[in-house]
Amino acid sequence: MRKLFVLLVVSLLMVSFGFAVYSAPVVASSKGVVAAANSYAAEIGAQVLEMGGNAVDAAVAISLALGVAEPYASGLGGEGYCVITLANGEKYAIDFRSKSPSATTYEQLEKDFATLSSRVQEDEAGNKYYPIQYNAKGACVPGVLAGIEAALDLAGTMDFSDLIEPSISLAENGMVVNETFAGVVSDAYDKVLNNAPNFLNEGFAWETGDIFTNPDLAETYKHLQKTGPSDFYNGELAEKIDAFMKEKNGYITKEDLANYEAIVREPLEGTYRGYDLYVPYPPVSGPQVLAVLNILENYNLSNFTWDDPLAVHIIQQALVLEDVDRRSFISDPDFYDLPTEGFVSKEYAKTRMMNIDLSKAIDPNTYNDYLGNAEDYVDGESYVDVMLSEAEKAALQTDDIYEHPSTTHFSVIDQWGNAVAWTQTISSFFGTSEYMDGFFFNNEMYNFSSNKSSVLALEPNMRPRTTICPTIVQKDGKVRWIIGTPGGGRIVSTIIQLLVDVIDFNMSIDEAVATPKFVGYSSYKDLTIEGGYPESTLAFLSDILGHDVNEYGYPDLFFGGPNIISVAEDGMAVGAGSIRRDGAAAAPEL
Amino acid sequence: MKKVSVVFFALAIFFVGFVFAEEVFTLEQPAFITSAGQSPGALQMTVVCKMVKLDYTFEKLMTADDFDPQAYNCAIFVVGASGKGLGAAGIDIDEETARVVALAQKAKDNGLPIVLTHLEGAARRGASSDLLFNELSPFADALFIKEESDAADQMFSNIAEEKEIPIFFFEKTADLKNVISEVFGL
Repeated sequence: MRKLFVLLVVSLLMVSFGFAVYSAPVVASSKGVVAAANSYAAEIGAQVLEMGGNAVDAAVAISLALGVAEPYASGLGGEGYCVITLANGEKYAIDFRSKSPSATTYEQLEKDFATLSSRVQEDEAGNKYYPIQYNAKGACVPGVLAGIEAALDLAGTMDFSDLIEPSISLAENGMVVNETFAGVVSDAYDKVLNNAPNFLNEGFAWETGDIFTNPDLAETYKHLQKTGPSDFYNGELAEKIDAFMKEKNGYITKEDLANYEAIVREPLEGTYRGYDLYVPYPPVSGPQVLAVLNILENYNLSNFTWDDPLAVHIIQQALVLEDVDRRSFISDPDFYDLPTEGFVSKEYAKTRMMNIDLSKAIDPNTYNDYLGNAEDYVDGESYVDVMLSEAEKAALQTDDIYEHPSTTHFSVIDQWGNAVAWTQTISSFFGTSEYMDGFFFNNEMYNFSSNKSSVLALEPNMRPRTTICPTIVQKDGKVRWIIGTPGGGRIVSTIIQLLVDVIDFNMSIDEAVATPKFVGYSSYKDLTIEGGYPESTLAFLSDILGHDVNEYGYPDLFFGGPNIISVAEDGMAVGAGSIRRDGAAAAPEL
Repeated sequence: MKKVSVVFFALAIFFVGFVFAEEVFTLEQPAFITSAGQSPGALQMTVVCKMVKLDYTFEKLMTADDFDPQAYNCAIFVVGASGKGLGAAGIDIDEETARVVALAQKAKDNGLPIVLTHLEGAARRGASSDLLFNELSPFADALFIKEESDAADQMFSNIAEEKEIPIFFFEKTADLKNVISEVFGL
């Protein structure tokens, strides 16, 4: 009964304010489209477009709404990266990744009997060091509100106070819990019960069909509505976070918050078969996506079908090779001199292609022997010259960091052609599970390495690496696709397959989202593949090419939850929400 | 007439007795609770028990060797297989199945009534969860089942019918409080 009441209230509110929007798994519109992991958030974004806001305004509203609708995947305690291309030709990449608190060093962790490892460590003297993944020590300085402020400063047209209003209503009036929400809470019930019992439904996991409200977050949002986002870094909220962290023995201080800034850059550019791609710089996976595409460009993939075992083999091996590179070539560019230009060089890609044996899979036990020499290509050298000079390989620093199927991605385009690809996260589902004023703190500290000689070695104020990669594809200056996905270590694999599906296999975006996915990731010694491939493909991959095939069910959230948009030459945009995560697209009514 | 009355009276006693046996399933405290599959459902069960102030002990990895059946008056197995939970416990589904079957056997041999519960809904109905439930069902004296878990295929209803044991349904996990209160007389 209450469910019906909530639906009725939401419907009446939308009609009374004249915000006529509609949502569905796939939506087409020439007035702008939103695709997000949750229908409430997608509809809020579409309302902003209907009110005359642009794609950046809508993106800000969606980011805040996802903090309500998917509190376990992102929110004020999190971080992310977005890529914006404006109709006037301007392009931005906003790095609002979290950064390590200034007190965090290996020495400090040791003093606190803490470790970046996921298991309890013991030294020779018998001292034990405990993981910080699920406590306040595991939180990095959050960046979401700084990212929102930067985006609005660059290209917003509406006030933050107006954009946060629909999320306040959502948090107060509630939303119907879907299967994804219920499943994620159920899976993490023990850690939420320990750290955030107030989040639960009177002590129990939220169940499908329940009405979820978050009055604490509504109050926090109302406070921010009055003060603006900077209060999180310099105001009352910063003081509260400082006190909360002291009480919980965390490392974040009000000084860390005051010193945090989102970084605005131009996106990294690349090409694939005549399309222009705009992706993020390190410490996220933009260069890796371009490097994989540069290898694939040397194969005529359109001669294959999506389920051809040889196509799967080529793509998977390219993914593995560039994942090996990622582990040495992607980190915080403020701390390391990274060979990004070489990593994304098409000449370098030819040398990587030479490692792919079309008749046999690389032995997974030797993956680490395949680190490339991207440093030799940073000034545009040809592969012929470099290989003839027999440059020596650098030693590989391997970081076996577990990456979670959490995070969230959304895409927006408005009627003018402004586009936003935005990925935000709190790392694991529920992050540290430390809960304050209606939101969870991220556990990004876990993405630093316990290997002190790695490019992920912990330094104070450093941004850890993750695999997220919000991507915008243009042709002749016009947006064609806006793509991104959550999925931890599967993110790059899923993004590459989406791009190959729409560009090489000429699929529509809903077909591309639905097509079963596979993974090329150097931590996985098998070929992890979603159900739906023909038996003959699986048999060929296994028996002829030598892959250790590990078939999952279909659909499986493990392979990510892409929410993507395509734009036809006539400006008609189509949004597709993820079928693996109850995602939705929404648009203003025509 | 007298003969008819006697027959009627005898039938009435039989019928009332039958209905009584059907409707009044009771358990006594203290209860022993364990997980069968290491999903978080067992933890939710303990929250229910705390709320109704049930005297219970929860050991999610209790083995038959370490189990003292004299310390309890019933045993509750919360069924739900979780790859993550099994992984964290360092065991696989075969080891978990062997553990809970041995535990149930020891409880049964010592006269403890055994309850199987499934409280995480359809999302926790997979091959491994069903395997555990079917392996344990021969020992069961009653089932506590979330309605949604049974909705698609009536697996739990069918088990209860075949074994002629009571089945107690609840809609939401919080409603399990009513079931626990009823059977334990709280």
